Amino acid sequence: MLTQYAPATVKDRYVREPLLRHRIVTAALLLAPMVLLLVGFMVVPVLQLLRSSFLPSSHLLDGTGFSLVQYVRFFSDPYYSSVLLETFVDGLIVSLICLVLGFPMGYSLARLPPLARRWRTIIVIMPLTLSLVVIVFGWLIILGRNGLLNSVLTSLYIVSSPKQLLFTRPAVLVVLVQQFLPFMILSIMSVVTQINPVLEQAAANLRANRFVTFRKVIVPLAVPGILVGFNLVFVLSISAFITPRLIGGSRVAMLGSLIYERMMSELNWPSGAAMAFVLFVSGLGFTAAFNALAASRLIVGGRRYAL
Amino acid sequence: MRSDFTDSAMAVSGAFIRASVYAMLALPAILVIVSSFTSGDTMKFPPRGFSLRWYQKAVENELFMSALWTSTYVAVLVAIIALVTGFAGAFAINRFSFPGKTFVQGLAFSPLIVPAVVLGIGLLQLFAWLDLTQTIYPLLLGHLVLAIPYVVRTILASLTLHDRVLEEAAMNLRATPLQVIRRITLPLILPGLLSAAIFAFVTSFGNATVSVFLTYGGNVTLPVQIFAYVDTSYDPLVAAVSSIMIVVTLVVIWAIERLIGAERVA
Repeated sequence: MLTQYAPATVKDRYVREPLLRHRIVTAALLLAPMVLLLVGFMVVPVLQLLRSSFLPSSHLLDGTGFSLVQYVRFFSDPYYSSVLLETFVDGLIVSLICLVLGFPMGYSLARLPPLARRWRTIIVIMPLTLSLVVIVFGWLIILGRNGLLNSVLTSLYIVSSPKQLLFTRPAVLVVLVQQFLPFMILSIMSVVTQINPVLEQAAANLRANRFVTFRKVIVPLAVPGILVGFNLVFVLSISAFITPRLIGGSRVAMLGSLIYERMMSELNWPSGAAMAFVLFVSGLGFTAAFNALAASRLIVGGRRYAL
Repeated sequence: MRSDFTDSAMAVSGAFIRASVYAMLALPAILVIVSSFTSGDTMKFPPRGFSLRWYQKAVENELFMSALWTSTYVAVLVAIIALVTGFAGAFAINRFSFPGKTFVQGLAFSPLIVPAVVLGIGLLQLFAWLDLTQTIYPLLLGHLVLAIPYVVRTILASLTLHDRVLEEAAMNLRATPLQVIRRITLPLILPGLLSAAIFAFVTSFGNATVSVFLTYGGNVTLPVQIFAYVDTSYDPLVAAVSSIMIVVTLVVIWAIERLIGAERVA
């Protein structure tokens, strides 16, 4: 029951041995609820969404037929292309800032003794477990006209009257960074934990300073964690809509908030579906291209280090 | 280690970055709690006075309290169902070999890479088509999909880490496979199971990005109610309601910490 068979031998053996066939049936029964749940309520809705993005109508799910009109409308309007571009640029900026801030955080967490690590980890995972809307509300208190930042700035006489901080793009980016930074910190922490500190000591013995050790030893070994964190933060940022809507208002357009608007206010579901698909596919394509680039660089880099 | 200028520059900037990042991560939650105790009528910083009047208003508020009930109810159901289906799935992945294993594993983790808007509006259309938008099912099933990756990951880790020698010993003593699972495996991975259920609970309890599309008719969860409220108005009532959410979340993190150590969330 509890022994594992090598996958290659399974196929030819389970035909002959009834016990193995029995095992396959057991495994299928165990997997069935989970697989059915994911297929029925993730795969099917996404495919159905793809189908409805080809509907020609512009209200709910009215009508039948097949047309590319939603996509043509999206790509022919310069406004949408500029929002798409802007969303991707924002996603890149957020991911890069998360990387720069997240690396020292994740590295130090991985190298701390367990006791010191404990409360720091709690601070790091709190934004992940806490509801997004609560965090955004906290930022409204910081950035509002009568908020913390304005009252600090005016009492220090840096500005004479409260400044408009909300409804600007930098504000949206700051809040997105705070929300998604924990993903970067945790993925870098988990990869650095696996790097043997002896390697760093060896580098130091060979008279490398911290920066050289960091660049030649730690970063190349931490690349998998960096990629995971970067992709995660990027995909989450480009599809964000609650933060752009509450912090950015109507002045900061990101694709996610446009889709929300299209679906929930204008009830134009086919158009919303098409935009969601553009977001989904271009996001996947971007991360795939990014990973391929990183992988090829890594292989070339690896050869250079090997020589 | 040899010290030179780069070393100290990196040490100083690293310490500075770390201190500011910890402050930045904790600040929003702290400010929400601080301003929920204001006695003033508007959100202002620094808050004026100290009172519990906004908590009283929050408890008396029908909208927020029924939303809190819906959130809790859905999250408890999600935790139970996700634990059972996720355990069965993780057990099959860990202990059986079958064709298409990598595919199933990929499927179990894929809710993490589908953007929330895509999943949300996909489910909205599905349930509109099934004419079930007025029921609790959209929220329940949507949250289950979101919780599966966390549950499967936590249980897979527990199953891989625990010592199989005990199971083999039990089987040598002629225990049946079901007896082994019930008397040996489940008690051994109990902390992992509990934290998987807790992850499922928080995932459901705090979710807003998928829920906004699933509360289209009728049942509204607390995060969606807060979102709708903040979208139009801005007063200390939300601070009080949000503080309740923060307390629930902190209790949950503390529980996970006790059970398996907080860093395992990664």
